[in-house]
Amino acid sequence: MRAYSRATSWTLFAPWVLAFAMFGLFPFAFSLWASFTDYSPIRAGGARFVGLDNYVRALHEPAFWSSLQTTGTFVIGTIPFTTLLALALALAVQPAFRGRSMFRVGFFLPSVVSVVVLSLVFKGLYAPNGSLNALLRLAGLPTPSWLLDPRTALPAIMAMDVWSASGYYMVIFLAGLEAIPRELYDAARLEGATWRDCLIHITLPLLRPTLLFVIVVNTVRSLQIFAEVFVMTRGGPLHSTSTVVYYLYEQAFYRFDLGYASAVGYLLFVLTLLLALAQMKLVGGRTAGAGA
Amino acid sequence: MTAATATPAALGERELAPPPPPWGASALRWLWLGPLLVSMLLPFVWMAAVSLSASSGGSLSRALSGPLGLDNYRALFGSAHLGRYLFNSAFVASLVVLLNVATAASVGYVLARQRVPGEKFWSFGIVATLMLPKQVLMIPLYLVMARLRLLDTYSALVLPFAVDAFSIFMVRQYVLGLPHELEEAARVDGASDWMIFTRIVVPLMSPVLAVVAIQSFLANWNSFLFPLIFIDSDRLRTLPVGLALLSQSEHSVDWGFLMAGSTVASLPVIAVFVAFQRHILSGLLAGAEK
Repeated sequence: MRAYSRATSWTLFAPWVLAFAMFGLFPFAFSLWASFTDYSPIRAGGARFVGLDNYVRALHEPAFWSSLQTTGTFVIGTIPFTTLLALALALAVQPAFRGRSMFRVGFFLPSVVSVVVLSLVFKGLYAPNGSLNALLRLAGLPTPSWLLDPRTALPAIMAMDVWSASGYYMVIFLAGLEAIPRELYDAARLEGATWRDCLIHITLPLLRPTLLFVIVVNTVRSLQIFAEVFVMTRGGPLHSTSTVVYYLYEQAFYRFDLGYASAVGYLLFVLTLLLALAQMKLVGGRTAGAGA
Repeated sequence: MTAATATPAALGERELAPPPPPWGASALRWLWLGPLLVSMLLPFVWMAAVSLSASSGGSLSRALSGPLGLDNYRALFGSAHLGRYLFNSAFVASLVVLLNVATAASVGYVLARQRVPGEKFWSFGIVATLMLPKQVLMIPLYLVMARLRLLDTYSALVLPFAVDAFSIFMVRQYVLGLPHELEEAARVDGASDWMIFTRIVVPLMSPVLAVVAIQSFLANWNSFLFPLIFIDSDRLRTLPVGLALLSQSEHSVDWGFLMAGSTVASLPVIAVFVAFQRHILSGLLAGAEK
């Protein structure tokens, strides 16, 4: 069918072309240029070309490496727990029972609330004389100073992330579970399989693509952790919670070293892109392929 | 940013639900899921209790043992700053949702019906954009907004988010499942391009546009990083940024006031989520079934 004129089609399509050019490709090219200069908006005079200096500097900067390490710890330390908790929740709320949707909604709730709000709440809960320590004292357990102690600050933020993100991935797992044909379970039951047999031989193997998807999406997201750190610790104490994006933010908006920040941003971009490409490969069959 | 897509089938008529299971079996599940749910929701209980107490100092037991009242909320709405933040959040979110729905409808439709050359190229750009978190463009976008002299304006909070790859993608997937016949019939009847789009296509797309509106509201209302770096003036701050900065002021933290602000910031998204949870969750669920 050829219903639409060229002009109408392009008019309807123009917003994407404009947005992609202005807020996608152009910024991309502009900051690539900036990453090879000493551009800074607060200094008089234009930007000087400095070649690869910014990249060399980043790779020799201990603070950059330590922020990468912090981010890595965050990713490795949260994802197994988030994934397991999300999977367990999904398995628990998948079968039909009365009040099921209330549980689904309740577990998902932290995912719709602002990270700033969650961070403020947890900052209050983690206070040395806060409610968490009151509870621990009641149980006769040690009461660390959580966000004020370099040893416990990062784990405290990580625990909050596991709590807040699990519900979201629970829903993705539910989608994966719904896609497994009922007949497989019916057949297995006829053969006398138990719930555990079904889990190990049917559910988990068929859930593998969803599992990979959840892990990759969560990794890409975790590389960008920022608001939690900004609200709860400002990267401290002793830089123990300074993630890559927080480091980037400090370089760009406290020191206004935008040339250097552009270079660090590019390094982060490449890292994220590699992961996102892996993600596209994983889900390519369902997304890009679905419309062709 | 998931493979979630809403399809006409998923958002249209719901299948006939099987009869609800007996109470006995459900009660068993409640026995162990109930405590889990309560413990996961405890932080919200803390937030609400502290916000209602005048002298909790951030302690749940002190909040619950003392008198509860709306003093903090009165102080909140009496404060010029917080009122302004709330207005800004609502204003920006409404604009972004409106623009998002409009652009996703038009772009997604054109893309699905392959009305412009280079469909592969555009689709690749959209999928690549939706896979990458926007934060990786933090510095580039800041530089561009500085160049365009849009920093510290409402435009900075709206324009970069007016066209969203994920929204477009959802509409595209939805339209792929719609039949062509209605559009063809309208064309035969002599309807103009514009009439076909506004009178036939948009109504057909309304279920997915509702999902786009909900999702973009949730995302924008909670947006933090870009409003933080794009805005300098206090009078343009949105609620999340205002609350975050308020919590870090020199004075000792007033937990009651802060949690009243947090509650006010959370209620709209919680209300939207609870009201439209079927749309949101079933939209997410439908996607992975493809």
